[in-house]
Amino acid sequence: MTEFTNNQKNKFPNQFLTGLLLFIILAIIGFMLFLTEAIIAFYWFSGIFFGYVIQRSRFCFVAAFRDPSLTGSTALARGVLITLGLSSIFFTLIKYSSFMTSGFIPGQTYIQPIGFNTITGGLLFGIGMVIAGGCASGMLMRIGEGFQIHLITLIFFFIGTLLGNTHLNWWKSHLIFLQEGVFLPDYFGWFWGLCLQLILIGLLYLFALRWEDKQQL
Amino acid sequence: MKNNFKKWFKPSWPYCIGAILLALIQALTLMVTKEPFGITSAFSYWANECAKWLGIQVAGDPLLDIAKSPIVLIESVSLRNLGIIVGALLAVLLAEQFRLKKIKSKKQLIGAVLGGLFMGYGSSIAFGCNIGAFFSGIASLSLSGWVFGLFLFLGALIGGKIILHFFL
Repeated sequence: MTEFTNNQKNKFPNQFLTGLLLFIILAIIGFMLFLTEAIIAFYWFSGIFFGYVIQRSRFCFVAAFRDPSLTGSTALARGVLITLGLSSIFFTLIKYSSFMTSGFIPGQTYIQPIGFNTITGGLLFGIGMVIAGGCASGMLMRIGEGFQIHLITLIFFFIGTLLGNTHLNWWKSHLIFLQEGVFLPDYFGWFWGLCLQLILIGLLYLFALRWEDKQQL
Repeated sequence: MKNNFKKWFKPSWPYCIGAILLALIQALTLMVTKEPFGITSAFSYWANECAKWLGIQVAGDPLLDIAKSPIVLIESVSLRNLGIIVGALLAVLLAEQFRLKKIKSKKQLIGAVLGGLFMGYGSSIAFGCNIGAFFSGIASLSLSGWVFGLFLFLGALIGGKIILHFFL
């Protein structure tokens, strides 16, 4: 967790001016990327925006998953649920309108197969992010904040990825239950698929509120 | 005047604002790039490149799963990952809160090593991380996102126990 509660003097002077200079440099790089290919500039700026937002709002996926059981706080868990709910609505609108106008649904490569690989991967990732104190996005954010430890995490993240990739064929050939994955609208229709998901998110939100109240009694 | 402008960058934002902005950037990303936000597809590529550079033979084909993604996409995602780092740097600099934080202890180091390995392995076999498999998966109305999220939660429970017993 990044807490800047201390009032100790900054080790680096003129941070604000350095920040402004960095902003100009990033904008120039973005502009040059834009001249080569507009969409690449979009990737660049969306990354910067994402990093800026999660840093400023201390949006930490680790804390969202860890704190309800560790400290009883569900503030971040509820934040994650809000973003999940909103983005599901946006995504469904985008996918539906694209499907109606062109028959193409964008982003369907993210409908992944489900199997022991999902279960094992989720468990390992969950354990890993808590003991490392940072998930994939949080780790990148903290590298930017100046945490040297997360450079180590990143190196071993790479090594872990290589190990996983060497076993990937085994996981794929043995342990996938639902090869095609499940896209909710295929089973419930666009409207009810979205509704079902929003109801689930809403119930989890209420449960999170209740959970926090109980812990504080 | 200048100080007022400076103050603007100081406060942290409420989680709710973060949540709304993240949903908006996801929506924009899906519209513009035709893919949701993801991080680790580029890690797979770079890990492989690093290994090749160090002369390590890697079994399997990491590009197998991202074969759908052409190299341009991997480069774009890498650029976006770099953007997350510099975006966070920009935020802390403007807030005048940047400090180099040294590695505190051996325990912290062990946590980073094991945590990194677990996350790397997990994201590789589950085809994504907390962003690609969980956040983008659920936003895409995919059951895989929910299954991954459930086990992410259980993993975090176990991780919390491990922290209490070994790391505190």
